[in-house]
Amino acid sequence: MSSQFEIVGIRPADAKPPVRRQKWYRGKPLFAAALLGLIVAGCLGCGYIMTKDPSYMNLSNCNVAPDREFLFGTDTMGRDIFSMIWYGGRISLFIGAAATVVSTFLAIVFGALSGTAPEWLDTLLMRLTDILLSVPNLLVTVLLQAILGEANVLSLSLVIGVTSWTSIAKVVRTEVRQIRGSEYVIAAKCMGGGFFYILRKHLTPNFISSIMFMVVMNVRSAIVAESTLSFMGIGLPLEVISWGSMLSLSEKALMTNSWWMILIPGAFIVATLLCITSIGNYIRKKANNTQSNL
Amino acid sequence: MNDDILLDVRHLTHVFPLSKKIAVKALDDLSFQIRRGEIFGLVGESGSGKSTAARCIMNLYRPAAGEIIYKGVNICDPAQFRTHRKMLQTTRQLIFQDSSSSLDQRMKVCDIVAEPLKIHRIRPARGSLRAEAEFQLRYVGLDAGFLDKYPSELSGGQRQRVAIARALSMEPELLVADEPIASLDVSIQAQIVNLFRHLQQEHGFSFLFIAHDLAMVEFLCDRVGVMYHGRLVEAAPAKELFSSPVHPYTQALLSAIPIPDPRLERARQIRQFTEDPENFQGVLTEVSPEHYVLMREGEHHG
Ligand SMILES: Nc1ncnc2c1ncn2[C@@H]1O[C@H](COP(=O)(O)OP(=O)(O)O)[C@@H](O)[C@H]1O
Ligand SMILES: [Mg+2]
Repeated sequence: MSSQFEIVGIRPADAKPPVRRQKWYRGKPLFAAALLGLIVAGCLGCGYIMTKDPSYMNLSNCNVAPDREFLFGTDTMGRDIFSMIWYGGRISLFIGAAATVVSTFLAIVFGALSGTAPEWLDTLLMRLTDILLSVPNLLVTVLLQAILGEANVLSLSLVIGVTSWTSIAKVVRTEVRQIRGSEYVIAAKCMGGGFFYILRKHLTPNFISSIMFMVVMNVRSAIVAESTLSFMGIGLPLEVISWGSMLSLSEKALMTNSWWMILIPGAFIVATLLCITSIGNYIRKKANNTQSNL
Repeated sequence: MNDDILLDVRHLTHVFPLSKKIAVKALDDLSFQIRRGEIFGLVGESGSGKSTAARCIMNLYRPAAGEIIYKGVNICDPAQFRTHRKMLQTTRQLIFQDSSSSLDQRMKVCDIVAEPLKIHRIRPARGSLRAEAEFQLRYVGLDAGFLDKYPSELSGGQRQRVAIARALSMEPELLVADEPIASLDVSIQAQIVNLFRHLQQEHGFSFLFIAHDLAMVEFLCDRVGVMYHGRLVEAAPAKELFSSPVHPYTQALLSAIPIPDPRLERARQIRQFTEDPENFQGVLTEVSPEHYVLMREGEHHG
């Protein structure tokens, strides 16, 4: 009997599928996280690892190449770059974080407002963001900074934050338009929840995963913006030490052939950005996965 | 029975604009009243405007015409709504058809049940919000083990119980339930309807129960209104409506209910209902005490 009904082309499945134990760190950007953690910890605890006063200008020690005393050398004003890196990193990272907080807050409020607004207001607000989005960021930044006057850390964070919320706001608005008709939002409205209550309790938790990647990337672009602006001489002044303002010395450094003045802050910036990018990519992948699992 | 009227819907009309030229008249001169402590059933085929009526009553839609008087307040008037907002939000509660979408998937059951208390910053009578949530859950037949679960871990019936607990945590005076049992299994439907009946006796709230399952309506409701294309065609006490329907649409609707007796069931005839516009003209006329039928002046339905 069995020979008559032989099944062709089907192999019996292995009785035991090979169980491969998933390591907890598989696919997680461990190296990036560790490196970023190290940099952040070093910057936050710069008081413990600095060997010199970072703002002390020792003119007898200008342009010293890295040696035993000055681990990363000194700059054209005789400041110790090793100390400056950690000390200035604090400012750069702070600007990255503060600008992101500002832009994310603006984006969420603006996006949610637009997403819950009636049709005409929504259109108006979105056209407005389109206009902002189409103007080069740098232009707006320079303009705002010019209005605000002499840049300091807070004003620079504010300016960078105010110029970088539009793309997140568009995503928030699209998400909110989908969520706002859900019955749990209507139920919360019936119960008397106000705009900010619903935004905090129901909207944000449900769209946060889709903007998380952009938020992390915003930290990155804020650090880049700070460096760029300071490099161009319209950001932080030379006395305020940050990675960007350290790079602004590079012009002079090139003339004296002091590679360390460019390479070392540059390397720190690039390493930080790469770490943030890889963490951001991980978050994006995870968000996509959880969405498809629903 | 207390004859005090809690909710008075008068000549309610609501229009959905589909485009600049076309509009759907979802409610057309709808009038009914709900007394304190009464269960009023609203039935009608899908698309007859039941949900729209519920949402107008909950102030989610602004009706195009007509008024809704709730506890003496015209809630369609923005100024009056604003002055009584707090009272309106705390004493009216809505339960949706689909409990999987009316509960936020990212909130735990205890947060969901205590949410209205939190919004209105009401000091929970039983100490903490969690204790309050547990109390309300027990009321609807769920034990404390459900407090820390997420809605996706519950069955449909359990989720609907959570939604009921959330609505009841405010001790509402008017509960509006929009097809609360339509997405449940038949056996669970009966449980939930029993629960509603029990809770209504316990709390004494007025209850607008929207359904298209007529058997459940007959069991639960004191009075029933039948809707067709946005109009109320007949309203009567439940017993009377089911024993002697007058309007042809109601008769057709009732003749479609299966009878749990084979002999009678075999003899049952489903009455054909022709969409004769003649049947939907005129005014609600009282044919016997409390029994209103939509008909022309002096006309009598067979
Ligand atoms: N948001 C809306 N936009 C346009 N038309 C709608 C909307 N909601 C309901 N309608 C229309 O209004 C009518 C009544 O709908 P509804 O109140 O949902 O009926 P029911 O709840 O009795 O099934 C239907 O014809 C429906 O197509
Ligand atoms: Mg409906």
